[in-house]
Amino acid sequence: MEVTLLIEAMDTSFRLMEDARSQAVDLLNTAVKLTSETRDIEEKNIQAIFTGAQEAKSGFQNLVVTFLMLFAFWVLLSGKYDLFHLALGVICSLLIAYLTHDLLFANVRVGDARVIAYRFFAYIPWLLYQIITANIYVASVVLRPKQHVDPQILRFKTKLESDISWVTLANSITLTPGTITMDIRDGEFIVHALDKKVAADLNAGEMEDRIAHVFMEADHIYVQDALDVAPIFGELKRGL
Amino acid sequence: MIQKSDDIIIKTLARILVPFIQIYALYVIMHGHYSPGGGFQGGVILAASIILLMITHGLKDTQKRMSEKTVAILSSSGVLIYAGIGVVCLILAGNYLDYSKLAKLLHVAPAHARSLGILGIEIGVGLAVMAVMFSVFFDISRGEVSQEDEDE
Repeated sequence: MEVTLLIEAMDTSFRLMEDARSQAVDLLNTAVKLTSETRDIEEKNIQAIFTGAQEAKSGFQNLVVTFLMLFAFWVLLSGKYDLFHLALGVICSLLIAYLTHDLLFANVRVGDARVIAYRFFAYIPWLLYQIITANIYVASVVLRPKQHVDPQILRFKTKLESDISWVTLANSITLTPGTITMDIRDGEFIVHALDKKVAADLNAGEMEDRIAHVFMEADHIYVQDALDVAPIFGELKRGL
Repeated sequence: MIQKSDDIIIKTLARILVPFIQIYALYVIMHGHYSPGGGFQGGVILAASIILLMITHGLKDTQKRMSEKTVAILSSSGVLIYAGIGVVCLILAGNYLDYSKLAKLLHVAPAHARSLGILGIEIGVGLAVMAVMFSVFFDISRGEVSQEDEDE
């Protein structure tokens, strides 16, 4: 009797193991399939990034974007929405856009302009938060009876590549109290820092990383954008 | 001394700001008959934007955008627009710069004709002022360059 039970139990356990194995194989198969699909999507995205850059380099698109920005600025200034003034605005914006579209978008790098604009606006709140905390810290340093000021000059090579990202980093550093960008020479930043903590914060390089992410530079181009792993995890969860 | 600026921050920000300064200058010119501003002020702002470009990007780059010949044509055409509108008023049996006489030519009410006439004058003045301001700056800086050439 006990032997039969034992055999039955073993039988069931084997069947369960078999089921589990087949399920696991299925899962692995779907995972492989999904990975190849994701890779296709990734390749397509990378392609899109590059073609986007090529398109951005074409003068006509620059002209149109410059025109739209200038016309928006005109409407903001003018505040008169009758046909005559809007027509004047169109003519003036076209004229200026034609004359200066190569100035506003000089040195366009690889990257999707819309994504960069979106990320730039997402970067501003973070910068504001940094400015507020740095303000409080500098105020505490100044108000402390014992002075802990230890001014120093930092030099560091940046991993950023384009002039616009250098300028963004330099101005972000200057806007944050306690640090001032003195100069940029061949990609080397020369920064004056008020004390050790401020200098250490700057050396940690979070600001640089974020700006690299905003302008899709260094190693931030593909990793976070093209390869979206969420579908794989979703499929795995459903399978289990 | 007009040289290319070495400072990447100033260069980049100047390059981004120049189009907006220029559209602001045109706004000042075009709204001169409604709000403070007008041809002279707008022309000076326009010239300042080009001078900013010259200080940051050097004489040669600016000359590619706006040569001496263009400046001469613009300044004289600005004066021509101003004087031309005045003379047209004379021809239409009015005083010099009597814009209400333009009403017959433009088929609008005399008051509206005055507004349009002043706008035309503003454009002429703006062009002339911009070109002359710039050419003054241009001549000063070119003098230095030619001296440098002599030194070499």
